[in-house]
Amino acid sequence: MSSVITVFPAVWAVARREFKMFFRYPSWFISLIIWPSLFPIGYIFVCKALAGPNGESLSTYASYSGTTDYISYILIGTFMWMWLNVMLWGFGQALRTEQIRGTLESNWLAPLQKWFLLLGSSVYDMLRWMMFMVIAGIEFYFIFGFRVQGSLWLMLLVVLLSIPSIYGVGMVFASLVLWAKQANTPVNVVRGVMMVFTGMTYPIAVLPQWMQAVSRYLPLTHSIEAARAVAAGSGLKAISGNVEYLLISGVILFILGFAGFGRTERIISQHGSLGHH
Amino acid sequence: MSDYLLALRAIFKRDMIMYFRYPVNVVFNIFEPFVWMLPVYFLARSFMVGGENLGFEAYSGTTDFVSFWIIGGIMSFYINSVMWGMGFSLKNEMWLGVIETNWLTSAPVLVQLIGRSLWGLALTTFNGSAALLIAWKLFGFSFDGQIIPALLTMVPMLIGLYGLGFGLAAVVLISNDANNVIDISSFIIRTFSGQEFPVTVLPRVLMAFSLILPVTYAFDAVRGYLIGTRTLLPMVQEQLILLAVMALFVSVGYAVFRRVERSVRTAGNLGHH
Repeated sequence: MSSVITVFPAVWAVARREFKMFFRYPSWFISLIIWPSLFPIGYIFVCKALAGPNGESLSTYASYSGTTDYISYILIGTFMWMWLNVMLWGFGQALRTEQIRGTLESNWLAPLQKWFLLLGSSVYDMLRWMMFMVIAGIEFYFIFGFRVQGSLWLMLLVVLLSIPSIYGVGMVFASLVLWAKQANTPVNVVRGVMMVFTGMTYPIAVLPQWMQAVSRYLPLTHSIEAARAVAAGSGLKAISGNVEYLLISGVILFILGFAGFGRTERIISQHGSLGHH
Repeated sequence: MSDYLLALRAIFKRDMIMYFRYPVNVVFNIFEPFVWMLPVYFLARSFMVGGENLGFEAYSGTTDFVSFWIIGGIMSFYINSVMWGMGFSLKNEMWLGVIETNWLTSAPVLVQLIGRSLWGLALTTFNGSAALLIAWKLFGFSFDGQIIPALLTMVPMLIGLYGLGFGLAAVVLISNDANNVIDISSFIIRTFSGQEFPVTVLPRVLMAFSLILPVTYAFDAVRGYLIGTRTLLPMVQEQLILLAVMALFVSVGYAVFRRVERSVRTAGNLGHH
């Protein structure tokens, strides 16, 4: 068992390596600045087109979503989805890229629990995501005029409570990538499924009943719902159901993530197929 | 010429073998069209009045937003395919450590680049057909327009995109980064050309930008032919613009790529990443 003393330097070494590579490619900065406002803009104009020049179809939208402010609605949905997207790519690519580069097996030989390698890259992802969050906040405020009517602390709580489930999904996903030896397509499908079921851009009330039932099981649905409610001015009591679900699902997914990764690691080591790609 | 065709065939075959080597790709690709269509379908539903997108009609001339979007979506598959196929293949070869070896073969680099996009185009055609079938069966996609002129309109767009692809490949060689360069440029082109909405909804500044992008006229003319939307210009004028831009993009893209190719060969940093 790796001791805490050896774990932290190892995790930090992985995170530092990722940061070094990040700074080596300046175009990543451009993407960090551009994506927060570029990604939702397409959906916002789609809504504008669907609403009509005089907003003649907005009342239907409001009857489903409870608001005519489709811009804030989309900004929150796309922001939470982009976070999951960054995590999926981060977890998925962390090991896959090393497989392609041919460095995964040598790193695997380090005397460490293997999930520390993932933890290191997730520390990097987390710090990068924090930068992304600050930039998105500034851009949403100045470009789209987005304002949080409720408590900012409560909004932060929703974000914090979403971390375990998003990381749990990420760990399960990392195992899937090791099995499938492919990251791109699984990322596209998982993020696409989340896009469909979690109501990123539309109210889940428009979904058929069975799809609504599925969406209630996805933690991201609750994160988006709670964040939208807080942005509209609701308090803790109004989002207590979402908060409870995020807490419970976060613990379960985190445990599943660890267990799944541990099992995958054992099987792949036995088969000797770690470096195969 | 026959040597080039031989090289193209070999690259196509290699990419196809690699694709089928990852069965998960094949399975997931079948589901992908659903995944990309459903969110837009439900978004459109949330604005429907009496089962129709009446607000949308005022901008586009049709209430059939789903068909409008599907045509844009399928054309975008091709844009993505060319841009990712040509730009990302270089980065992938850098990672795999084979780019220098491949460049030492007698097949010209441009032929190799074109070759890397061919399997993607074949796959896109398959996925696009599957998407059309799904859209027709499940989402009520229909068109009663002229398919031949619509397809002919796409030809200069695709050839022009190859020119853009050469330019992108040059940027990848200089920056050693593919993901961001391709992702951002293809997203901007697709979004502001009106892949998902009529460009007339854009504010003036953004609309001016969209009118500079040739793909805008391709989306517009193809939709005009297939589902009878109001077009920005007469369709013949839009096709002439596409032809002119095709010639411009291919010649400029080619010149830029050759210049960068010479530069990396001289500097000896081709394999660096």
